[in-house]
Amino acid sequence: MGEFGIIAQVLVNGILFGTMYGIAAIGLSLIYGTMRIIFFAQGAIIVFFAYICYWFFALLGLDPYLSLILIIPISLLLGMGFYFGLFKEAAALEDKNISLLIAIGLMWLVENFMAVVWSGDPRTVVTAYTSWVLRPGGLNISFTRLMALLIALLSSVGVFVFLKRTLIGTAVRAASEDMESTTLMGINPNWVNAVTFAIGIGLAGTAGVGLATVYSFDPTYGFTFVIMSVIALAFGGMGNVFGALLGGIILGVLQGLGAYFVSPTWADAICFGAFLLVLMFRPQGLFGKKE
Amino acid sequence: MVKKSKKQKMKDEKLAKHPFNLLKSLIPTKLTRNHIYIIIVALIVAAFATVPSFIDVDTSYFAYFLFLCFLYIVIAQGWNVVAGYAGQISLCQNTFFGLGAYTTALLWLLDVTKTGYYFDPVLMVLSGLVPAILAIIIGIPLLSRLRGDYFAIGTLGVQFSVTVLFLKGGAFTKGADGLHLPSTVFQSMTPYYWTGFLLALFAIAVVYFINRSRIGLALKAIREDETAAASRGVHILKYKVFAFAVGAFLAGIGGSLFAYYLFHINPDSVMHLNWLFFPILMCVLGGNGTIIGPIIGAFFLAAISSFGDVYFAQMHPIFSGLLIILVMKFMPTGIIGLKDRIFSRR
Amino acid sequence: MANQLLEVKGIDVFYGDAQALWDVSIHVEEGAIIALVGANGAGKSTLLKAISGLIHARKGEILLSGKSLSNLNPREIVDRGVIHVPEGRRLFSTLTVLENLKLGAYVPRARSMFAESLERVFSLFPALNTRIDQKAGSLSGGEQQMLAIGRGIMAQPKLLMLDEPSLGLSPILVKTMFELISALNEQKTTILLVEQNIRQALKIAHQAYVLKTGEIAMSGRGDELLANEEIRKAYIGERVSKR
Repeated sequence: MGEFGIIAQVLVNGILFGTMYGIAAIGLSLIYGTMRIIFFAQGAIIVFFAYICYWFFALLGLDPYLSLILIIPISLLLGMGFYFGLFKEAAALEDKNISLLIAIGLMWLVENFMAVVWSGDPRTVVTAYTSWVLRPGGLNISFTRLMALLIALLSSVGVFVFLKRTLIGTAVRAASEDMESTTLMGINPNWVNAVTFAIGIGLAGTAGVGLATVYSFDPTYGFTFVIMSVIALAFGGMGNVFGALLGGIILGVLQGLGAYFVSPTWADAICFGAFLLVLMFRPQGLFGKKE
Repeated sequence: MVKKSKKQKMKDEKLAKHPFNLLKSLIPTKLTRNHIYIIIVALIVAAFATVPSFIDVDTSYFAYFLFLCFLYIVIAQGWNVVAGYAGQISLCQNTFFGLGAYTTALLWLLDVTKTGYYFDPVLMVLSGLVPAILAIIIGIPLLSRLRGDYFAIGTLGVQFSVTVLFLKGGAFTKGADGLHLPSTVFQSMTPYYWTGFLLALFAIAVVYFINRSRIGLALKAIREDETAAASRGVHILKYKVFAFAVGAFLAGIGGSLFAYYLFHINPDSVMHLNWLFFPILMCVLGGNGTIIGPIIGAFFLAAISSFGDVYFAQMHPIFSGLLIILVMKFMPTGIIGLKDRIFSRR
Repeated sequence: MANQLLEVKGIDVFYGDAQALWDVSIHVEEGAIIALVGANGAGKSTLLKAISGLIHARKGEILLSGKSLSNLNPREIVDRGVIHVPEGRRLFSTLTVLENLKLGAYVPRARSMFAESLERVFSLFPALNTRIDQKAGSLSGGEQQMLAIGRGIMAQPKLLMLDEPSLGLSPILVKTMFELISALNEQKTTILLVEQNIRQALKIAHQAYVLKTGEIAMSGRGDELLANEEIRKAYIGERVSKR
């Protein structure tokens, strides 16, 4: 196949996986917009839903993609529950560090809960089609990765439409810019926060399904994942749904190329270096709106 | 001119009638409030100092518990300075802790200071300085460009990178297995107790002096409202980096103390995320940004740890996470804050 | 005895431990323009925030047509027709003009009257109609202020509170702005106007209050205060006419 073909393969894989980072990044962007914190627990929750997807399959024989029908509503409800249960009071405070610490606490809680209850063994969902590979033009595209891409794209479009075309979505956009002004319109900030949070967790649920079908995962993977999602967000910039998605893709590609040309362990370091560079020299990201 | 509304005057009257204040007014005027505090502190210090004469330090579990408290106090105050006073969330405190431990271990093994294998103050100071210097080096670029949450992420990156470096440190750090230190010299628990005690006092003193100094004022101003502080001419970067470095220093000497205790230093034992969680938890429980808060938190956590080691070894981090959430939700100002709230309400 | 739409009775407002308002009382008569003037930092915006529910007054009462607003949250206060157009416009710059106006009419009571409110806004501010799909951030200063007020009108206000609407506008636009406010009032909207441009504010106001370091220093009819020596000296600055 030749060098070029391999690179193309790496690129394709990077793009496909990067969309997972992308939708996690969209979730982070939304939550940051209204609550002004980086929701660190995002990664752990994605892994949590990956486990749910796994158990749905292992115990109920429920196909992962079908399980989305259950997982999406569950995650949306869970998101609402998290907000009203955990963050509501803290969100009203001036000191955002308190909300941040709650998010970190939640991350530890979820991650270690999973480690205790489901053990540290890596899992992945293996179905009849997880080994299917499509071969357009000499490239190998795994079916599940392609499906993950599709899910990511659909989710992004869904969020975009929600933000632009619904009144609540418009309120969310407004609140991300100026929460106090939004309150003066008679819009309840708690509801805006809760809706945004719910969508963020909903996206986590979706990413979890994608993760379960594509990768093997264990409880500690969430941490790595959220860091990558933050990097994706930094690349893409805040406030832009498709920008965040693209940021994820760029990251996926960077990671893939780094792993290929240097080594897998250094790939992460490279991504991190790029992250710091972007933060220092273009903090609004490649596509973001300026603060 | 300070104008007191009627309500404020009524509040002052009520406060004056509070039993504690009545007691205070009974004390002869020669003894001011400060004197009282000094006496109380001196008594407490003396009490701890005399513990070894009452208890057989080597076998007593209580002595071990106190040692743990001292260690915890040191690292808690580290977080207190950087997050409680300066308001920066630094997620690489465990890295600094680990660096301190490794520095001690390496210098010890290389017998650099030729003091043999025993508690060496020079070594300990160095173990604090190494992370502090690292903090300054990375702190300047990170703190000058990154706000709040992004700074936190930046510190996470530091944590990542350094841990990887140590895992791959090859012959120097002996990778995942780590360094083994000879333990034969340490037969008794007593030096641990004393060193721990002194270090804890040192950490508390550091925070006390910061609190009272201009640095403390500047940090509080930055924490409350950074833009306002900047417009008043407070050199933001200088103070943030200072706080970051002090936090690193304290974490480092904590790590050093721990190295003397553990003898087997590897990334898992000294760079474990617990060494990041615990200081946060302690300050959050006791009260961030206060002098006594972390101390209270430290005793609490040491108690839970000892208890937990017996029963809930594995459940530890789950409890930590849950505790942080609950405390932040219901009493974000910690136990100290609770006391304030009780005493200033009607 | 004219109808008192809004009564603020002896409120104290604190920011944390710092007191900003001391025993402040004002009355807003229905159908009138009430001006609240004073120097920077006197507490005018704070008073509006206390009325609209962004801050809670620690003492005292705020009554709308006799019913208390004191324990209500901002949403409920907006629902009762008290609309606060904040200082500095505070538009949603990344949203379009139409989207800003839509959000103005968010509460159900206003949403049902959306079409009518929109028409009213466009008749008052024709310029907005032509820019309806433009992002609010790209409008000129004057247009932004119009949009801010228009957004307030979309909420079907019984009491419209404007915080420094003339701030940052050119003299011609300032004149237009005050003419607009008078026109709004002629359409039967009660207006509570906070202004630093004391002269213009007192000219159109029926009643006025002067706020000084958190307390009501003076009150009276607009024209009375305008003629008052103290006010002229302190705030308006007598100019020796060279004509």
